[in-house]
Amino acid sequence: MPVAGDSAAAGDSDEALIRRYARGEAAAFEVLYRRHEMRVWRYLQRNLRNAATADELLQEVWFAVARDAARYVPSARFTTWLFSIAHNRMIDSIRVRRRHVSLESLGHESAVVTRQLTADPSASPVAAAVARDEAAALIRAVEELPREQREAFLLQVEGDLDIEEIARITGSSFETTKSRLRYARTKLRQMLKEYA
Amino acid sequence: MTEELDEIYRRASALDPSRPSESVRRKVLEHAAALAARPRPAANRPRWRPAIFGTLAAAGLAGLLIVPRVFNPHPPANSADTAVPAQIPPDADAPPGAGAPAMADAPPTAAGAPPFADAPSMNSAPAPSPLPPPQSAARSRTITPSDEQITVPEEDVQRLAEAKSRSAGELPVGASRLDAAAQPGAAAQRGAAARPGAAAQLGAAQPGLLAGQTAATAQPASPPTDPSAALRRAAETGDVQALRVSLGAEVPIDAPDARGRTALMLAASGGQAESVDLLLAHGADPNAADANGTTPLKAALAADQPAIAAALRRAGAR
Repeated sequence: MPVAGDSAAAGDSDEALIRRYARGEAAAFEVLYRRHEMRVWRYLQRNLRNAATADELLQEVWFAVARDAARYVPSARFTTWLFSIAHNRMIDSIRVRRRHVSLESLGHESAVVTRQLTADPSASPVAAAVARDEAAALIRAVEELPREQREAFLLQVEGDLDIEEIARITGSSFETTKSRLRYARTKLRQMLKEYA
Repeated sequence: MTEELDEIYRRASALDPSRPSESVRRKVLEHAAALAARPRPAANRPRWRPAIFGTLAAAGLAGLLIVPRVFNPHPPANSADTAVPAQIPPDADAPPGAGAPAMADAPPTAAGAPPFADAPSMNSAPAPSPLPPPQSAARSRTITPSDEQITVPEEDVQRLAEAKSRSAGELPVGASRLDAAAQPGAAAQRGAAARPGAAAQLGAAQPGLLAGQTAATAQPASPPTDPSAALRRAAETGDVQALRVSLGAEVPIDAPDARGRTALMLAASGGQAESVDLLLAHGADPNAADANGTTPLKAALAADQPAIAAALRRAGAR
């Protein structure tokens, strides 16, 4: 099995790496994984506000990437494909949870839901330790955004996707996505002002 | 303001010590390595598709190139002896198989019609022959409707005339046409009745032979492959092997396509880091902009290819 060294693959584009992996180079996958692991995980964790679920979905997302690497067609950026998978897994997870947990709408403007999810033990030490920090406050504010706005914002800042790509992934129109991003940023700026 | 907010968010993320579980990383990487180690049909399928399409395309192209050569009435000089002359048989005794069906729209010579009834259509062809007269001219001059090129021995003419008088109306149509063309007395008539377009008539009367052949020779079977297009295609698809071949063939490295995109531009926008490195190493212009003014560097940045952008900057891209 041909294996490329990390150093050789590190400078490659995502698309080149996934193609290499599809040809059997496991090292290319590792480079790709380490490059995007945290971005995907933060996207999941801050949307779901549950580290354990984020871990679970992170694993599912990358399993899917490994399984479907050969089907990846470089007509879109790798990150668009990657975050599409992450989005779909997350939506599936939310649907399953809705059946088991009586939540009106997970992630919507429900303060109860927000408190319930942010009370997750794995998340609380961070919040407690840096609660007074502006950065931590911003992250908390992000997590408290309405779900659609939060997801659009996270896809943009974590996935580095543009409005069109976000609209395609979330199944929304361009204008709707643009509005969600605008509202999200307005709220976050407002929060920062209040914090200051 | 948007950038500032994003920057604060990224700073916050960097400070956030939350991390995915190490066990997840381990499982994912083990799973990926296991998948990479075993043959995956799904992984092979997409590679078969282009292979099949490529084979079919190559076969089609080869057919387009070979078929006109097989039926070409003007073979190269070195193959003149072996080439099959695709033309009306010059001998009146020849079987009518080749000529008669192709001339179905010619007037019949039987039923009292004069044996040379269709002669004018042949006589009236001093127009330039659609077939150039190289090595095979000797074979085709029997049907060349130019008086100067018809050199039939007198005894043959007489023999043909006798044969025609014996079997007037029974000769195949193609043969009577040839005889008409061979008649010395018809020369004046041919000259008088000369009119342009007769060659086209001749071709129309023989769609299976001359018309088809002249059409085949009049236009090339397929456009020649553009070496610079091959270079750009190899660069865009990351086919490094083909790219090396093109570069070795001294194809102009910055030759643009119709939209002004060079191979480097296509490689950069397509995320083909290896192609970019190779092209830069061979002296590709890192600042060659396309018709929209987009440079390879801009294309790489737009395609979210920081590694390629860095390589281009190192090469002097602006």
